[in-house]
Amino acid sequence: MSSIRKFLNNSDINRFRFYFQLVAFGLLVYGGYLSINIGDQLPTFACVFDDKRGGSCYLMGFQHQMTFPYARLFSGAGIGILIGLLTFVGFFIIFNKAWCGFACPLGAIQDWLTMLRCKMGIYYSSYSEPVFKRLSTIKYILLALLILIPMGIGNSFFGLPTLNHDFGVPFCMICPGRTLLPLFNGDFSQLAIDFSSKTKMVFSGLGLGITGMFLAGAFAKKRFFCLFCPMSALHYIFSRASLLRLTKDGEKCTRCGNCYRVCDVGIRAIADDLEHINIVKDDCMMCLKCVSACPEDGCLKASFLGMPVYESTAEGFFRRRLKEDD
Amino acid sequence: MIESERQARVRKSTSLHLAMEAAETLRQITEFPDNPESMAYFYDLYQSRFKDGMILPQNGKKLVGTMCLQVPDELIVAAGAVPVRLCSGAYAFDQAGGDFMPAKSCPLVRATMGMLQVNNDTMKDNLSTIVIPTTCDQKRSSVEMLRNMDYPVTVLEMPASKESDEARTYWQESVKQFALSIQKTCGRKITAKALNAAVRTKLEAGKLFRSLQQLRTESHPVILGKDIWLVSNSYFFDDPDQWCKAVGKLIAELDSRKSAGFSAINRKAPRLLFTGSPPIFPNLKLPILVEQAGGLVVADETCSSERLLHDAVVFDEKNLNDMVPAIADRYLKPCTCPCLTPNTDRAKKILEMVRSNRVEGVVYQAFSGCLPYEMEQRGISDMLSREGVPMLFVETDYSPEDQGQLSTRVEAFIESIKVRKRKKQ
Ligand code: SF4
Ligand code: SF4
Ligand code: SF4
Ligand code: SF4
Repeated sequence: MSSIRKFLNNSDINRFRFYFQLVAFGLLVYGGYLSINIGDQLPTFACVFDDKRGGSCYLMGFQHQMTFPYARLFSGAGIGILIGLLTFVGFFIIFNKAWCGFACPLGAIQDWLTMLRCKMGIYYSSYSEPVFKRLSTIKYILLALLILIPMGIGNSFFGLPTLNHDFGVPFCMICPGRTLLPLFNGDFSQLAIDFSSKTKMVFSGLGLGITGMFLAGAFAKKRFFCLFCPMSALHYIFSRASLLRLTKDGEKCTRCGNCYRVCDVGIRAIADDLEHINIVKDDCMMCLKCVSACPEDGCLKASFLGMPVYESTAEGFFRRRLKEDD
Repeated sequence: MIESERQARVRKSTSLHLAMEAAETLRQITEFPDNPESMAYFYDLYQSRFKDGMILPQNGKKLVGTMCLQVPDELIVAAGAVPVRLCSGAYAFDQAGGDFMPAKSCPLVRATMGMLQVNNDTMKDNLSTIVIPTTCDQKRSSVEMLRNMDYPVTVLEMPASKESDEARTYWQESVKQFALSIQKTCGRKITAKALNAAVRTKLEAGKLFRSLQQLRTESHPVILGKDIWLVSNSYFFDDPDQWCKAVGKLIAELDSRKSAGFSAINRKAPRLLFTGSPPIFPNLKLPILVEQAGGLVVADETCSSERLLHDAVVFDEKNLNDMVPAIADRYLKPCTCPCLTPNTDRAKKILEMVRSNRVEGVVYQAFSGCLPYEMEQRGISDMLSREGVPMLFVETDYSPEDQGQLSTRVEAFIESIKVRKRKKQ
């Protein structure tokens, strides 16, 4: 047992994650070719607009359900919605935010853009931390909107007229998943602006703009889009219930900042928070890079159902750091 | 003419005193029974380094003096020069410094200044520059004095706090400017490749040093604290590759001691932690006294030993844009220097060390004149008494005069820990 643990703790999580992401990408984007369907309420961007997907993103169905009038919401359909949500939560709590670090196709694309940038020898851009943190509250606004806008179709708020059905899946209209993932199957149809109605025109134009920003942003700054992602906001609501945990023993931490340094989404608390045991913050994608960069024995730890799966150790740290360029 | 003759005379007598002092410290150190055989490398190293004044390393490369462990020496190495930490522990130089430094200044700064004054005519040509970070008042004020002695000085601006993002950014910028200036001084551009190699060397040293730290805390003590200081102190000036080789050998020897169940000292010896103003060879007075009295220093929190090599640089992208700030982070974020405010990390670290190393008592040294450490003493002492761990606070300097009085206090302290221990059993 202890030798397995040692093997895991000495391992290079970044490399493992790279291959895992490739496999997950293959499954979620191309799984349809093998008639694979992991599930319909996945807590990750397995985009419904991609015909060959191997599972489906929850957000599409969720937005759709939100268009039901109140009367339907609180009758039979309510049960369906609840089951959908429970399925989503069921998937989510197994891996917690590691869905983002290990499975999300959009996450993977962003990481590949980062690799491309490094290969080209281009520096990342710096930005002011506080401003960025403020911007990242946008994801909660997006989450609220993707619930409220569809609700405005089936119901009237404050006596205002209801919205038309072109507002049905507003987030999908602006989601880079819709424009980008079908491309991997040679489907370019989502790259166009939809002129069939004014609403659709605006939304699809916005979607193209956001896709551009997604690509440019992720190229310049690691995981740029993730900071604004409403899926991540939805995750965070259920994160504490998860079976996979990332914990910190503040007593062992020297606040050396190594973990913060390598964190792609710039979570400062991972180094500076000495009080909380559960250290998963809303932007965290559980990539576990922080664990691999921490040189203190047992300070940061990922565990599944209470069993440690990856733990920081001085031995593993030096092994990884000194191996890298050989 | 007369002046230079006088200078030469002073240098000669100081060198003589230094050699005697070093020999005396080494004598005390080697007098202990059961010294590890592979310590011979270090004993010889000091022997030769101090036998004739302070001999700076010579291998044809440029030399850059540093006056604090806050100087990112990876950058100096990457610029093709050899970093030498100048902080001196010599009473001979302390006395020389006494000629022109305030009587109440810290002996470490006084000795370092004394050394640079006495050896002015040779060292100012040998050192390409002296890097001084803006840490404590006395080091800061040395800048002007050294410039007046015609030394080239590089000031490394350091924030007085490390908590805010602004402080971090400021320090990163400061280190970047330092990198630019040092490559100008040394006449070689720092490349990502060279920097990576320098970082790796220090990582390698850090890894070995951690293993050594681990070994010193064994319940069968395989090595004494006084030897650990020799090892870490020598990183100030030794060639890192040679150093790593020698430490690797020492570790192998200690490992075999460990598996043979061999103890270098009575297993019941009180386990102590040493903290405060840094012991630097030849001034290992207090650590040696403590172990002569039957204590065992199993851990230390000092900038001449543990803090020197514990932390490790981590970067994500192998380009200067990411590496230089990463190096900056390594020197600021985990720093527990009492020049920083707040400095809660130091107390926290001491507490963690006490707990994880089963420490039974703490020895706190403050050099008279070293206000930062003197002022933090009370807080640490209160914290330790809440933890139920006794602390001995010692205010001292480099002079051997208080040795007798100190040894009485140290013996009483260690005796009291032994009594406590017996009562507990
Ligand atoms: S467009 Fe985005 S939110 Fe909608 S189904 Fe596709 S991935 Fe999910
Ligand atoms: S935050 Fe959003 S885009 Fe990023 S990995 Fe998670 S689900 Fe994907
Ligand atoms: S890397 Fe580990 S020791 Fe360093 S700040 Fe992060 S958690 Fe603390
Ligand atoms: S906190 Fe750790 S696991 Fe979370 S995103 Fe940052 S590096 Fe990855």
